[in-house]
Amino acid sequence: MASSKNERERRLSQQSHRRHQGIGTKPPKVTNMKSTLFRIWSYMSGEKRLFKLVISVVVVSSILSLLGPLLLGFAVDNVISEPETTTLLQMVIVLLIVYVLYSITTWMQNYWMIGIAQNTVYRLRNHLFSHLQRLPLLFFQKRQHGELMSRLTNDIENVSKTLNSAVIQFTTSVLTITGTIAAMIWLSSLLTLLTLTIVPVMYIGMKWITKRTGRYFKEQQRNLGEMNGYVEEMFSGQQIITMYSQEKRVINEFAEKNEALRTSGYWAQTYSGFIPKLMNMLNNASFAIIVGAGGMLALNGMISLGVIVTFTTYSRQFTRPLNDLANQYNMILSAVAGAERVFQIIDEAEEEADENGAAGIKNINGDIRFQDVDFSYDDDQSTLKGLNFHVKSGETVALVGPTGAGKTTIISLLSRFYETDHGTVFIDGTDIKTITRESLRSQMGVVLQDSILFQTTIRENIRYGRLDATDFDVERAARSANAHDFIRKLPKGYDTVLDSDGKGISYGQRQLLSIARAMLADPALLILDEATSSIDTVTEMKIADGLETLMKGRTSFVIAHRLNTIRNADLILVLKSGEIIEKGTHKELVKQDGFYADLVHTQQSENKVSM
Amino acid sequence: MRKILSYTSTYKKAVWIAVFLMGIELVVELVQPLFMAKIIDEGIMKGDMSVVGLWGGILLGLSFIAFAAGISSSFYAAQASQGVGHDIRRDIFQKVQQFTRKNFGSFSTPGLITRITNDVIQIQNLLFMMMRIALRAPLFILFGMVMAFFIHPGLATILVISVPSLLLFLFWILKKGVKLFRRVQNKLDRVNTVIRENLAGIRLIKGFNRGVYEENRFEDVNGSLMNDNKKALWITELAMPIVMLGMNIVILIILWIGATKLNMKSAQAGELVAIINYATRMMFTFSVFTFLIMNFSRGNASAGRIRKVLDEETEGLDELGGSECPSLKGGISFENVSFEFSPSDGPALKDLSFTAHVGETIGILGETGSGKTSLLQLIPRLLDITTGRVLLDGVDIHKLNVEHIRKQISLVPQEAHLFSGTIKGNIGWGKDHATMEDIIQAAKKAQIHDFIMSLPGSYDAQIGQKGVTFSGGQKQRLSLARALVRDPKILLLDDSTSALDAHTEMKLLQTLKEMQCTVLIVAQKISSIQEADQILLLNQGKIIGNGDHETLLKTNVYYQSVYQSQLQEEVI
Repeated sequence: MASSKNERERRLSQQSHRRHQGIGTKPPKVTNMKSTLFRIWSYMSGEKRLFKLVISVVVVSSILSLLGPLLLGFAVDNVISEPETTTLLQMVIVLLIVYVLYSITTWMQNYWMIGIAQNTVYRLRNHLFSHLQRLPLLFFQKRQHGELMSRLTNDIENVSKTLNSAVIQFTTSVLTITGTIAAMIWLSSLLTLLTLTIVPVMYIGMKWITKRTGRYFKEQQRNLGEMNGYVEEMFSGQQIITMYSQEKRVINEFAEKNEALRTSGYWAQTYSGFIPKLMNMLNNASFAIIVGAGGMLALNGMISLGVIVTFTTYSRQFTRPLNDLANQYNMILSAVAGAERVFQIIDEAEEEADENGAAGIKNINGDIRFQDVDFSYDDDQSTLKGLNFHVKSGETVALVGPTGAGKTTIISLLSRFYETDHGTVFIDGTDIKTITRESLRSQMGVVLQDSILFQTTIRENIRYGRLDATDFDVERAARSANAHDFIRKLPKGYDTVLDSDGKGISYGQRQLLSIARAMLADPALLILDEATSSIDTVTEMKIADGLETLMKGRTSFVIAHRLNTIRNADLILVLKSGEIIEKGTHKELVKQDGFYADLVHTQQSENKVSM
Repeated sequence: MRKILSYTSTYKKAVWIAVFLMGIELVVELVQPLFMAKIIDEGIMKGDMSVVGLWGGILLGLSFIAFAAGISSSFYAAQASQGVGHDIRRDIFQKVQQFTRKNFGSFSTPGLITRITNDVIQIQNLLFMMMRIALRAPLFILFGMVMAFFIHPGLATILVISVPSLLLFLFWILKKGVKLFRRVQNKLDRVNTVIRENLAGIRLIKGFNRGVYEENRFEDVNGSLMNDNKKALWITELAMPIVMLGMNIVILIILWIGATKLNMKSAQAGELVAIINYATRMMFTFSVFTFLIMNFSRGNASAGRIRKVLDEETEGLDELGGSECPSLKGGISFENVSFEFSPSDGPALKDLSFTAHVGETIGILGETGSGKTSLLQLIPRLLDITTGRVLLDGVDIHKLNVEHIRKQISLVPQEAHLFSGTIKGNIGWGKDHATMEDIIQAAKKAQIHDFIMSLPGSYDAQIGQKGVTFSGGQKQRLSLARALVRDPKILLLDDSTSALDAHTEMKLLQTLKEMQCTVLIVAQKISSIQEADQILLLNQGKIIGNGDHETLLKTNVYYQSVYQSQLQEEVI
């Protein structure tokens, strides 16, 4: 929810920004332009030479675009002064060649650049994604998904769009402006001077407009944000509104916000609508100046008619990029800023490499021992202190304790998502640090509180547990997880494609699929992290059997809140602020009359009131 | 799109003024080359300085007139497009107010928000653009050719033949491009889905050691995105160079033929220059076309999405009919009631019959998806039954005025939804003109009064982002207080006490018992409904057991097994 909201706001602000960028808007923040550009460059790998070629083609096409109007002017002069067809034919042929070459070069530069840009972005995306797979779990827990998502999608998309076009456009603009002015001066410095008088007018005009649009766009943004929040609240509470017959009141409140948005939107759009008109007027004025003043100069014989023709095209050719330049530059800056955010992720340290000489393990028994284990996220505050326990193969351990007691941390240490600060974890008597992470994790299966399913068929979702499993294996796993019956009843059975938000099947059924997936993986070690916490009690009844089959014969670590899951465990560890304060079976702990017994008693006495 | 365009009728005047002002700009742009021809032929060629000065000045003056027209058109175009945006937003919002759960099945809340914000903005921009440049580009080409004809029919023929064919070619390529870009968008969504799934499931992926598998999966979708993106971009980038080349060749042909005509004295230099100028200007409008088509296809997609909301079938209060406005006593009976969201989904509730007498408490038990929530929503007609009859105090609900009936019924949903504002405002929401006394009474009944008094500002404390944040149980009790403030004759609780501790829940149920009202409670825990006069067991939309706790415990196997499992169900 939060993520989609962030994305939306981002999109909204991008949308309105794109339209009023220009002279006077603040560029995006970039901390180290040079090194970021260099890194993007490094992703071009084998295409660096092609890129250099593209840039030289851009130079050629820019020169050709200057040559066109110039030659056309000459041709016009030629037609008028000496109506001799042979020279004219020569000119026309030269012009034809120039035009053909111009079209070919512009197409070539774009064709190549698109290839380079897309390949580069492809590499960048792949690198980023595979890097993500190697980042330690802690990285993901420290960050908001919405924010990460935005870097992985929006920021890269931004780089992609900019590389596609802005690079060429920017270079072309710079070359065209300087080239056009140079050519104009060469033709007639006086007429150039007159033509250039529009530049300061343009600058002042744009400043005047963007000062106003900036203010109103900001206000529009605020109004839009307010309306957004209001709509979100009202749409999600729509049932309450209907139930309490408050439609009219809500509609009136919305009307106020809607009206405010109309007002600010009106001014923002009106002022931003001035920009193209201003540009138009300046084009028209420069046209008038060129024709009028140029005409007088031509009368005096200072310039030829062809020069006027050339100038009318040139004046358009340089005012346009002059206006676009600021946009293009801002686009490049914002892409570089986006790339910087992407590189920040790539610079995050990967999970530590396996120790030298670490060996793979296979077919473990599942005998687990924690010996004097300490762990802390930050150096100053320890999360786990002096942990000692032993789980025999095939036993079930229940971890009990308040939130933040370190239950999930124990499991993360066992999976080597984190490394112990002191002490050792043994599997079948082997220090897990001497085992490769991959082979260690391949011995484990997990069922989490939120059943994570992918947007593909049910069959593929179960197969995720063991990629080389046959369809038969998949169905057998579903059968032993009690999932087969409900899957078969679906119209498309195992080929039902799951929605990302899990429409179509119930929460309990999703969890059954997770269990089937773990079943298929057939791990020696099983981790159930609050696997039944979000399920209503009636549904849980149905899942219980599936879970029981799954846990049979495997060493299982269970984090749970419900007593019936805990009471049958072979070992219960009661944790409080990172320490095991009690350890034993349900019976032993109740007899001990400590923290655990207290928990059980308070719950029971409260239940007696209602039962 | 047509539906969206019909919104402009309210702003007809502004639209016409904007279009008229645009027309002025167009005229100025059209006559410029004409006057240039005059300057050349009658001024420069004949050496008459005054003609050059006069027409040069006129040209300059015209450009200011065009500017003034353009600036004023901005006001009117903005007025129309912002007005249309405002009206569409208003209509979407009002439409959504009539939505039932049925409608929310086809639209997600974020989806609706995107429509009311992004899509409307898209439409606004498109309209604004249409009034100002969209019409101008084709009109310039049309009238440009007419003017060229006026200047020199022979040379103009070349334009008449070539420009439309180049335009057709441009459309053809862009149409292909638009189609390809739609595919790119789908691929991009796919890439984003993989990333989102990966982030959400990172613990599972690491647990199952599926890093490499995920990388391959990502490389596939990423590669396919790259390929489609290249294709789409390549084809659209092809358009401009070809069209430009075509237009440039046309200019050369005009120049060549013009030169021969000039020799034969059948054309003047100024005329030739003017026609070349028209051709050059037309070439510049081509890029406007590219821009327009891309924006139009985007706007069209937005318009489609908006139309889907506006065309959604809903039943407003007026359409729900019924005129009788009795004061309810609280008797409810269901006679063979069935309900389905849509024929394809099959029935969500099948053949339900039961009766709740005035003042009784009915418990409803069943697993997720068994139809409990739908059953409750049928009573205030948040959903409407498909077959059968629902009677309130013996009267068919279809004969009753909905708004009037809803005022006497309170439904408390499972997820407590509070609005930003004060606590007082939230509780008072349930009743028009609720007094402070009413509010406090309701809060006391909902067992939340003491807690409210402990807050800084008590009943005036702000709820929401900058205010107090509440626990699930506190939210549920506030939402209960909102339901109780209106003294309902029928109270529908949809698992709305699930987050309360046993003790508080007990006290609450006791209070409800003392009130003069019929209560239907959906619950997960047998303990919440043990005392009910009647318990309905719901399974896959059917009643599979009906009776009080003792009877069900003796006769119903399903009930027994739930009871057994919950006996050991204690929460730590």
